[in-house]
Amino acid sequence: MEAAVESVIATQGLTKHYGKVEALTDLTLDVQRGEVFGFLGPNGAGKSTMIRTLLGFLHPTGGAASVLGLDAVKDSVEIRRRTGYLPGGIALYDSLSGGDVLDYLADLQGQEPHRRGELCDRLQMTGSVLKRKVRDYSRGMRQKIGVIQALQHDPELAVLDEPTEGLDPLMQHAFYGILEDLGREGRTIFFSSHVLSEVERVCDRVAIIRAGRLMALHDVGQLLARRRRRVTLRWTGAAPDLTSIPGLEDVVVTGDRMIGTLSGHVAAFVRAIASPNLEDLLIEPARLEEAFLEYYAGDGEPIESGESAVAGTPA
Amino acid sequence: MNGRLLVQTWRWQRVRLLVIGVAALGWGTLFPIFYSAFSDALRSLANSGTIPEQLFNFGSGSLFTLPGALTLGLEHPLTLAMLGIFAVGATTGAIAGERQRGTLEVLLARPISRRTIYVTVAIALLVVIAVVLAAILAGMAIGAATQGLLDQIDFGQLPLVFANGLLLWAAFAAFGLAASVTFDRVGPALGLTMAYVLVNYFLEILGSLLTDLAWSQKYSLFHHFQPGQILTGKTDWFDFVILGIAVVVPVVYALVVFPRRDLAAPS
Repeated sequence: MEAAVESVIATQGLTKHYGKVEALTDLTLDVQRGEVFGFLGPNGAGKSTMIRTLLGFLHPTGGAASVLGLDAVKDSVEIRRRTGYLPGGIALYDSLSGGDVLDYLADLQGQEPHRRGELCDRLQMTGSVLKRKVRDYSRGMRQKIGVIQALQHDPELAVLDEPTEGLDPLMQHAFYGILEDLGREGRTIFFSSHVLSEVERVCDRVAIIRAGRLMALHDVGQLLARRRRRVTLRWTGAAPDLTSIPGLEDVVVTGDRMIGTLSGHVAAFVRAIASPNLEDLLIEPARLEEAFLEYYAGDGEPIESGESAVAGTPA
Repeated sequence: MNGRLLVQTWRWQRVRLLVIGVAALGWGTLFPIFYSAFSDALRSLANSGTIPEQLFNFGSGSLFTLPGALTLGLEHPLTLAMLGIFAVGATTGAIAGERQRGTLEVLLARPISRRTIYVTVAIALLVVIAVVLAAILAGMAIGAATQGLLDQIDFGQLPLVFANGLLLWAAFAAFGLAASVTFDRVGPALGLTMAYVLVNYFLEILGSLLTDLAWSQKYSLFHHFQPGQILTGKTDWFDFVILGIAVVVPVVYALVVFPRRDLAAPS
């Protein structure tokens, strides 16, 4: 398959079936160099299957995948040389210390762990912590070792499967900072998650996967912009005329309060409700979660594989 | 082969190897001592007809000659246990164990092909097995020397005995590794490999104890390990060929199957 120069990950009709179980079906997407790409879906949607296929752990039933311009099946060793991978629910060698695990994995990677010091500092893995056996680590500490081992050799591409699982909010914040810095440095990050807020926070684009099928592929900004907003109005005196406000739906009026959903431009809405009687206005920011639930609540049809998906055309 | 993985595989085994290696050395010294101390008495016992002679000819060994006694030692269940810890236990756990613990995914995330992993682990464990086998043979040589029995066998043949024994245990180790790359859990790999070793062992022992079942021995890999014959200058190269085939078949299987396996997320 033809892999564009700027495509770091490109799949074309990628399919993986286990007998009758369709883990991935006809999945076409494209991740550009320097992107932080979110791969979003509930448990069992096929996120890990996709990642494992990209890294050569699984062999596709159909279609093709390339990573860093290399064939995911034939060139998996070279792909892994240039990639950092954090498996979901990472398991480590319990009998080794954290530092020994990092040394061992860096040696096997065959590259200097240039970033280890910085990553350890940011994730608060001090020298004394790294000297302790992994068996004595908490879930969060293991996850931090997982993040460090994936990124310590400063890979071109980081593939992170649910990376914040087990991290406390403070460490999640530190991790987001690391991702943002990597993104600024032009590293490509492919990031699977079912935590919507973190995808919304750190990703440039997001693919939504359901039952092994790609449901949507969007810029996060676009996705949020087309979401409906929740608005709450409170007024004194006579109620405003709500019927003529464009884009306002699901209106529920209770006494001097109205709750509704708004689609379309906020500016037009604000102009329409402008009145001396208006006492309070609350427009809640669109959340990716709402977009996400919309894709999962109904019988959403998958988007067509091919150009529309690559271009990020909404479903 | 990957040097770092090789060293780490040895590190995982080092304490066990040290303990078993010392035990193997001590165990090996016992057989010339037993032979020296008891063979005449046992021969008298056998000649008296009180105990059937077959019971002194366990497997391909015998307590009536030094080469036979050494063969007995090399086919003794405790010897099996010492070598089996690595040839069965370590091999079956090598890949399936990493898979079961989830660490195989971290290992495979490195730029190392599955074949390289297999070959590296196989070589590392073969060396470990060789060390234990060498310790047993060294113990036997020490024991024979302390008993003044060095003239009873041709110790120049010991390297051939070592090679013959290493082929036998390499065959079991290759089977264990083949099982290890096939299963996601240690249990089935270990069970299958233990069954393989035990069936071979029983075929050999049964044939040696019961004349009517003597035919069963030729189907046992243990029967192609003949230190007694080699030490008396009667090397049968066909034994080496058979054991060589028993090594090659599972190795080829593993080299074909392991890279083609789908390694889904550990459950």
